[in-house]
Amino acid sequence: MDEATAGAARARMVAVLARVADGDQKGLQELYNLTSAKLFGVCLRICQDREAAEDVLQQVYMKVWDRAGRFDAERASPITWLCAIARNTAIDWLRANRKAGDLPENAAAAVADTSPLAWESIAARQESARITACLEALDERPRRAIHAAFYDGFTYLQLAQSMAVPLGTLKSWVRRGLLQLKACLSHD
Amino acid sequence: MTDATPEELDALAAELALGLLDDEDRASAMRLCLSDRSFAAAVDAWRARLAPLHAAFEEAPAPDVWPAIERRLIAFDDTRLRRALARWRMGAIASGALAASLAAFVVLRPPSPPAVRIVPAPEQAAIAQLGSDGAAALLAANYDPAGGVLRIRAVRMPASALAPELWVIPEDGVPRSLGLVAADGVSKVGIAPQTRALLRDGATLAVTLEPRDGAPHRAPSSAPIAAGKISTI
Repeated sequence: MDEATAGAARARMVAVLARVADGDQKGLQELYNLTSAKLFGVCLRICQDREAAEDVLQQVYMKVWDRAGRFDAERASPITWLCAIARNTAIDWLRANRKAGDLPENAAAAVADTSPLAWESIAARQESARITACLEALDERPRRAIHAAFYDGFTYLQLAQSMAVPLGTLKSWVRRGLLQLKACLSHD
Repeated sequence: MTDATPEELDALAAELALGLLDDEDRASAMRLCLSDRSFAAAVDAWRARLAPLHAAFEEAPAPDVWPAIERRLIAFDDTRLRRALARWRMGAIASGALAASLAAFVVLRPPSPPAVRIVPAPEQAAIAQLGSDGAAALLAANYDPAGGVLRIRAVRMPASALAPELWVIPEDGVPRSLGLVAADGVSKVGIAPQTRALLRDGATLAVTLEPRDGAPHRAPSSAPIAAGKISTI
């Protein structure tokens, strides 16, 4: 997607969100058609269960219906705002359905070394090439932790357990990794 | 949190955006988002940084998801409430008679831990919710689901011979009276056990001005002067 197309898509989404804020149900349907594949992908990746992810997706659009009036185009891009709602709703589902301290079955695999393959499919997308490169530049352990937090909804506590390190150690790895990531992304 | 360095706050913003925080820390970071605009902006910036990682996972949901959302929208038709609120806001802005804007903002605590925590009225959140400059919350509310007690604080209610009556409007769109509340100070409203299930995320709380006689009423007689969605933190 070139910049002009991206700008047009964004402007269209901002306009549709304004209609949703005014209570236009057709506007919500249009927004759904534009964004449901992306938001469903976010929900499915975190929930790891199709039926649950579809249920979460319904909740996501009901929240969008409620909150569209609070969207501020000056502050955030519409798709980022929508993805954040989808992510939070999916994470809420995950936490409600997974007892604290209870690790998912795939815990070991989730924090196992992230193979280049896992990033490669992402790198294929131009828009994500940059962050992929920056993540690749991180040390292995913070990279694995950030990956599992983003894609599998792991909290600090769950990461520390899965990676069998003290919580404080884990936090300092992740914080250092995030700092490095931010610096890398702000380089031109 | 006020003594945290900018670096620490930025790290906290990243942790919230990434979903690393556990219940308590997450709730407190989300409250900070409501009360501190620069922190909220830092969280937004982190979400934008991480957003490209979602690119690889587009997948079409089953075709019956949209019809299910549509059914929920119809069951939850708040169009009339939205319009009534829009009219009221426009009237208030046009006449300048009411300096304050509306918004009851309710924080439902998560079921655990059991200790009651009073959350200060997030006035900035109320402004953000309504998008009108210079407006302050009329009402702030806080609900303890364990005890079934709603505490509501009137911040700036218009002077009136009528009394404020509080309503909950659940998904079916039918207002249920929760009784009269004080026009100033804090009112404690005991919620009847059969009504408690209605006070959940997404339901609307609204206040109308009603005659004192015959309260609680079966239905409101006027458009709400304040309304807000119940939000779970």
